[in-house]
Amino acid sequence: METQSKIACHDCDCLIMLPEMQINQTLVCPSCSSKQFTTYNRPLDYSISYGLSSLILLVMANSFPFLSFDVQGQIRTITLIQASNDLFIQDFVFLAVLVYIFVLLLPMAYLSLLLILLIPIKFGLKSFFAVSIGRLIGYFRPWIMAEVFIVGVLIALIKVIDLADIIVGFSFWAYIGFAILFTLTANISNRHQLWYWIDRAKR
Amino acid sequence: MRNDKAKVASDIAAQKKANTLTQHFQYPPGTAAFEGLANCRSCQLLSDVNVGNCPRCNDTLYLRSPNSIQRTLALIITAILLYIPANIYPIMNTVLFNDKTASTIVGGVVLFVESGSYFIAAVIFAASVLIPIAKMLIILWLCYATSRQSHLSRPELSRLYRATEFIGKWSMIDIFVVAILVALVHITGIMVVEPGTAAQAFAGVVILTMIAAHQFDARLIWDKQKNNE
Ligand SMILES: [Zn+2]
Ligand SMILES: [Zn+2]
Repeated sequence: METQSKIACHDCDCLIMLPEMQINQTLVCPSCSSKQFTTYNRPLDYSISYGLSSLILLVMANSFPFLSFDVQGQIRTITLIQASNDLFIQDFVFLAVLVYIFVLLLPMAYLSLLLILLIPIKFGLKSFFAVSIGRLIGYFRPWIMAEVFIVGVLIALIKVIDLADIIVGFSFWAYIGFAILFTLTANISNRHQLWYWIDRAKR
Repeated sequence: MRNDKAKVASDIAAQKKANTLTQHFQYPPGTAAFEGLANCRSCQLLSDVNVGNCPRCNDTLYLRSPNSIQRTLALIITAILLYIPANIYPIMNTVLFNDKTASTIVGGVVLFVESGSYFIAAVIFAASVLIPIAKMLIILWLCYATSRQSHLSRPELSRLYRATEFIGKWSMIDIFVVAILVALVHITGIMVVEPGTAAQAFAGVVILTMIAAHQFDARLIWDKQKNNE
């Protein structure tokens, strides 16, 4: 397959000839000034290493205490999954499923699929289901709400900080680390870059 | 992408013919649609729309998302209806020594204002009240503006759309606050937080407005307005 020589802006459909781009440059639509994509230094290596670190931190965030709540010596300690699980116990199934999907399941699936796609490409091997993975990842991206969840947790903590002693667990920091690395990974392996790799994998 | 000129020319001719037959949009010059090229929704490869499916990822090709406005409107109207119970019912109940207090979304904001935490009050007010309402109104207006002459210029409308698309998921903040409080504040007999009906409704509002923003084809802003000028 030929390399793309032009793209169309996703916001206004203006045809844009792809220029020669340096590292850390962003292509902006000349007609509506919407951002198309940014180029990064060694994108494949950084996507894999940030993605892998991010995935490991997410697994760790699920394996340790998240927060503890201490009222007059009575301590309640929760893990990350309980944010969804306790809603489920209270029969708020819809809410529980949403929280689980947006906070844990989709990020986990996104990172795993990205690594399954990119690691074989890195070592010049055949990548299986490259096209399906590329499409799935695109569908997942807008629904991953790690950073929103962190702000939600902080506000929840401010709400209860006067009522009890709060102990912040290891999982909390792991989740913040995951969210930062996830954002970096997703930015570096943006849609333009991702499909360039998939094209290369098919050749 | 370097199709031979003759083919492109015949595509344009076919496109013009199709337009005159079905009375569809005239696409502005300089756009991909004008040349009969469809921008793939999944992988952004430009292909001749007559191919039908993207040669790279096999997604269906369209010059513009079909029935984008109708689907956006249907989703937004559902979201607006759902926003009513989201504000009437309590988003959570706090049980302090068997003493139950219900708090609505607005009640939660008022509580923060009363305790002097103006910044947090502002964040929750923005995320749960201002953004959802503004988002629903802006999307409604954009749907209207694509069919009528609008006071705002195309770049302004386009910027509004991008802002609503970007900001959408931040409305989930209140839902996550409830989820964490329900899990964390659970010491039986002393202090328990229970989720309220409004939380489900509000989550529905956020999801529906997000899908509505995705369904809206931003390119329609530029198509119609260029014709009117
Ligand atoms: Zn544009
Ligand atoms: Zn495609």
